[in-house]
Amino acid sequence: MFDLLPARIPWYVVGPGLGLLIVALFAIANQPLGASGAYIQTSGLLRRGRDVAVWRVWYFAGMIGGGLLVTRVLTADGPGVRSGYDSLRDAFPLWAVVPLVFGGATILGYGAGLAGGCTSGHGLCGTAQRSPASATVTLTFLSTAIATTFALHVATGGSL
Amino acid sequence: MRMNTIGLTIGILFGALLAGAQLHEYDTIHAMLRLQEADIYFLMASAIAVSAPLLWLLERRNHQTPLGGRISLSRSMPQRHHVKGGALFGVGWAIAGTCPAPALVMLSSGAFLGVIAMAGIFLGLHLNTTRANQAAPSGDGEHRELVTVA
Repeated sequence: MFDLLPARIPWYVVGPGLGLLIVALFAIANQPLGASGAYIQTSGLLRRGRDVAVWRVWYFAGMIGGGLLVTRVLTADGPGVRSGYDSLRDAFPLWAVVPLVFGGATILGYGAGLAGGCTSGHGLCGTAQRSPASATVTLTFLSTAIATTFALHVATGGSL
Repeated sequence: MRMNTIGLTIGILFGALLAGAQLHEYDTIHAMLRLQEADIYFLMASAIAVSAPLLWLLERRNHQTPLGGRISLSRSMPQRHHVKGGALFGVGWAIAGTCPAPALVMLSSGAFLGVIAMAGIFLGLHLNTTRANQAAPSGDGEHRELVTVA
């Protein structure tokens, strides 16, 4: 809508901003910042489970809202609906991209559940608490992600 | 009630920051993991560099939080499931080019494949919860049930 933001806000603004959010949530409510927990609470609410942390569902909705704010309101209008995954779409037809994305997302969801957190929960918030478990998870997922990316690069003959 | 407002506010700011850094774009994550661009590593490192000392200070001063009692950071020792889960997470992260929070922003940016990513993450987390046959764990480094080191 409005063209108020640069195409990409630099890391030295976003990184410290995320750091302050982690501190704020701990300072106000003694709660860790993460994302996979919000998925678990949201599906718990949808399935009418007991003991749902409803605030994490609000937090889940907030992430979508914050994304809307930046990508649709504060940024100049781009295409209305697009597929996303630009370079993956260049390398594969859509019928192959859909199962790749779904399969990859299922694996990462399962892994996040097993590890007890994801890039935000362990990678940022857990590591900032100086948790050895979080540091281990973070180093592990960074290693396998980089290895998998290079394996894909080789497997696609360099097109990815 | 107040906690819901705080959850919503923190969520909006979190989503906005991720979107600002283009973390919802496959190409950003792919360039990071292909080691073509260091920005996101700097982003993660600076987030930790800002939050770790402040959390340490809050803990040291026994900060009494308005809504959650005395501040209690968690530090647990790594166990087998951390390594297995982390390894799987990394593989999926590289293939899907997104992770739980950026997938939501991808959706709000109008990229319809974000729906596929979000659905997969829900499924994966659900499969793990049923496998573990446990009350939904809170995730997110909230591993407070595990062994804590001094």
